Amino acid sequence: MSEEQSHNQQNVPARAGKITRNFFLHIHATRVHVHSMKPTYTFGLGMILGFLFLIMVFTGVILMIYYTPSVETAYRSVKDIVNVVPGGRIIRNMHRWASQGMVIVVFLHMLRVFYTGSYLGNRSLNWVIGVVLLILILLSNFSGYLLPWDQLAYWAVTIGSNIAASARELTDLLGITSFFDPGGFLKKLLIGGEVVGQPALSRFFALHVIFLPLSTLILLGIHFWRIRKDGGLSRPAKYAGERGTENKWLAWPVLMWTELGILVLVVLVVLFFALVADAPLLEQANPSYPENPAKSPWYFLGIQEMVSYSAFAGGMVVPLLYLVFLFSIPYKDREDGYVGVWFSGRTGIRLVLWSVSATFLLVLTQLFVMIRFGWLRDWFPGISQWFVMLINPATITAAMFIAASEIVRRRLDSTRMASLVLFTCAFVALVVFTVVGIWFRGPNWEFYWSASQWPLQ
Amino acid sequence: MQRRNFIRQTAITLVSVTGMVAVVSYLRQFFPRLAGQKRRITIGDSAQFPVDTYTYVEEHNLFVYRDHEGIRAVSAVCTHLGCIIEKSTDGFECPCHGSCYNTKGEVLSGPAPRDLSWYRVSGQAGGKIVIDPGTVVGPEDKYISS
Repeated sequence: MSEEQSHNQQNVPARAGKITRNFFLHIHATRVHVHSMKPTYTFGLGMILGFLFLIMVFTGVILMIYYTPSVETAYRSVKDIVNVVPGGRIIRNMHRWASQGMVIVVFLHMLRVFYTGSYLGNRSLNWVIGVVLLILILLSNFSGYLLPWDQLAYWAVTIGSNIAASARELTDLLGITSFFDPGGFLKKLLIGGEVVGQPALSRFFALHVIFLPLSTLILLGIHFWRIRKDGGLSRPAKYAGERGTENKWLAWPVLMWTELGILVLVVLVVLFFALVADAPLLEQANPSYPENPAKSPWYFLGIQEMVSYSAFAGGMVVPLLYLVFLFSIPYKDREDGYVGVWFSGRTGIRLVLWSVSATFLLVLTQLFVMIRFGWLRDWFPGISQWFVMLINPATITAAMFIAASEIVRRRLDSTRMASLVLFTCAFVALVVFTVVGIWFRGPNWEFYWSASQWPLQ
Repeated sequence: MQRRNFIRQTAITLVSVTGMVAVVSYLRQFFPRLAGQKRRITIGDSAQFPVDTYTYVEEHNLFVYRDHEGIRAVSAVCTHLGCIIEKSTDGFECPCHGSCYNTKGEVLSGPAPRDLSWYRVSGQAGGKIVIDPGTVVGPEDKYISS
């Protein structure tokens, strides 16, 4: 028995008791597998997300006390939080940067879980819950975006609510909008009217402070509980035959203290950003003049780039297709042998690298054509909206990705390899669209190499 | 049918029917009843609008165009995602995603799925101009004040 192992065996009942007697420490089993503690396997991303969520709740409660959800006073109350409430600026900044952190980390966490095949085996339900949590986090961000009632908020939500209504693009083409209008239905549910106003603000406030955080909290609980039920974090199949406490270490005290250390680190990082960078607040919302360019929050600019081709295809169909794919991964791919191995070995790595480069090439080529030579409407003036909706970089890439993954599935006879291809392609395309939306689109959504070239207004 | 089964079936039916009624009427509350028709808008008299110019009426998000014959009104809301369009040299352009329309409001380029709507313009006693966003007319339809 090595020194480490013997150390691990000291005071077993006392150390196990620390956890079994404490409701909150029950987040871990008394013993955790060695593989689960490898920093390069999880990077602690799920835990960091949990901590960021805590920061969101704690700072959110304070903001909620000083904020008033009314179109007349919302903007002023946010100004007051920034300028009058002692420490209010820091609290608002922390709320803002922690939320951005959650968006980044939730995607990284999903990448980690996907590329290590951690949805395999009996973990399919937890993957699905994770995807729902991803959606909840994005919706929380989006609903919080409206609350300051500044120009950024107003126009981002106007665009968002009209994306919700974009099924009208299809129903108009079919000529059935007057009696079957799912787009209008969704928009009315979201903003309580035809244009963004007080009903929208009240709804988004309710969503943001009660419905979404409560749902997130409940699902987070189930998400953590499922990890325990599924036998701890995923690990490679070579550990499958283990019995009892083999390779398992007591969680108290080292693991718990390490995690507390990471909590402190997360808070420090958020605090640092809150001290050096202020959350933006533009002029008060003006329903008569949009910002130019009117950009959504950065993590939605990939979708905004796609809606600039077609609202319905880029804002509804393609994102929904990808969501359906995300939900279906663990049910389509049942090759449990790949669990716990980064990129599923050599073939997987090669496929992922190919997918990354092919997607770059494909998306950039189409963007080049579009920016340099225009698209269907420029070539064939008066062309039917059907073509504009169905043939654009968003739909073409989606179709090609699905085809590529289907070819891989047949050639290699592997659903895991097919999922690797589709997931990688879709993710890289989203990243490219997002980067273009953030840095290369200027006034009137035209292409610019840099913001310094934007025309003066 | 046994008494036990009868009671069970009845109980299940009652509970599910009440439950469904409760859930549906609860969910119904999330959908506001909105008035369908749009109100008519009274704007100033025609002398306020310079000839051969598109004037943006910002409270109502529309452009009023007056030429030497009469007055027309076109929606300033982009049919793509609801941003407010701007007057460009040869028509209109949307700042959000770059949809372009010609002076008749027809889509020239960009993602906009429909042409802009022109509204019925009429006159009121006292020379005030009235615009009816509930009635869509052709781009050549103008109100000719006597």
